[in-house]
Amino acid sequence: MVKLLFFAGIKERIGVEELYLETSNQTIAQLKNYLQVSYPNLQLDGVLVAINEEFALDDDMVQDNDTIAFIPPVSGG
Amino acid sequence: MRENRYSRQTLFSPIGDSGQSLLGKKHVLIIGAGALGSSTAEMLVRSGIGRITIIDRDYVERSNLQRQQLYTERDAKNRIPKAIAAEKRLREINGDCEITGIVGEATVELLEDIIEEIDLIIDASDNMEIRMIINDLSIKHGVPWIYGACVGSSGMTFTILPEITPCLHCLLQVMPMNGMSCDTAGIISPAVQLVVAHQVTEALKILIQDKNSLRGTFYSFDLWNNTSQNIKVSRAKRTDCRTCGKERSYPFLQKENQTKTAILCGRDTVQIRPSFKKELNFTYLAESLVKRGYKVTQNPFLLNVQLKDNRFVLFKDGRALVHQTKDVVHAKNLYDQLMG
Repeated sequence: MVKLLFFAGIKERIGVEELYLETSNQTIAQLKNYLQVSYPNLQLDGVLVAINEEFALDDDMVQDNDTIAFIPPVSGG
Repeated sequence: MRENRYSRQTLFSPIGDSGQSLLGKKHVLIIGAGALGSSTAEMLVRSGIGRITIIDRDYVERSNLQRQQLYTERDAKNRIPKAIAAEKRLREINGDCEITGIVGEATVELLEDIIEEIDLIIDASDNMEIRMIINDLSIKHGVPWIYGACVGSSGMTFTILPEITPCLHCLLQVMPMNGMSCDTAGIISPAVQLVVAHQVTEALKILIQDKNSLRGTFYSFDLWNNTSQNIKVSRAKRTDCRTCGKERSYPFLQKENQTKTAILCGRDTVQIRPSFKKELNFTYLAESLVKRGYKVTQNPFLLNVQLKDNRFVLFKDGRALVHQTKDVVHAKNLYDQLMG
């Protein structure tokens, strides 16, 4: 079981700020794909992904009890 | 002898008298005088910074007053450019600080002209394009900069130290297509203030040369949902980054990559920039527009023209803001139509 955290625009599009997912041996790329398919109007361009508060690359593996944050670059100010 | 106005700051041991003295010699460039810019400028000026240069291309409007702390109802009523209103207010706050407000677009030319005198750049802008320009300039000239942004109840900030941290280009390999903006998702003042609190604290640490105390992480928060993330990003630094890697081309400083139009954050507004800077004669222009049947009002800084469906605001340097539209082509047509 992993916990997904969503910020800003991603939170708005998905509708919740966190989700729990049963998953094993998935990469970040696969997780992103799953989200894109589940929420077609999601904008994942340039999203920053962190696993347990560490910057994650697309090839990184997700493990049980991980917290994965999806942070879209915000441009307002 | 007058009490030292910074006594409560010098009592804070990491700063002390020596830190205060250093602050008084430093020059910070703030890009944007909106929500983030007003607050960072006020905080730094109150803290005794030596010099501030603040740039903004826009003027004060009523909907700014909810969160842009330097401005008043009078500024909005008179459509005072933000950089001018900010300069005036900041001077009233601290007459010892040297304050320069620039009304205009933060272009590559303008920024490269002044960057040699700058110790730190604070991002208070409202679009990704300018941030990528700031990022390229920061790395090229070795000047640190502090990214900051907010929307809704969320915000984020990251301090970029050339040659040490990843740069924004490393973090943002793909330019985002459509961000949320303040006119779709709104923005609450506390979100602004939390970003500013982080930006100014990091700024103080850099300016008094206490780099060991820097946060080091990419900080993101949501005040309404009570969450935050402090993300370690050293892994993000890329040797193939075109801005800070082995082979640097500074892509965002190249002329071909700079657009001449922009849709303003939080507004139904398109900005148009002429390809070369102008110095318009407002009196002559106002007369000719009135002769052509347009309704024109003006102040020393801008010309306001009411068209059938749009309001058109013209600055002395030839830049125009076309309101009530996000359609760039339509806005350009109106510009050409009016300017002849």
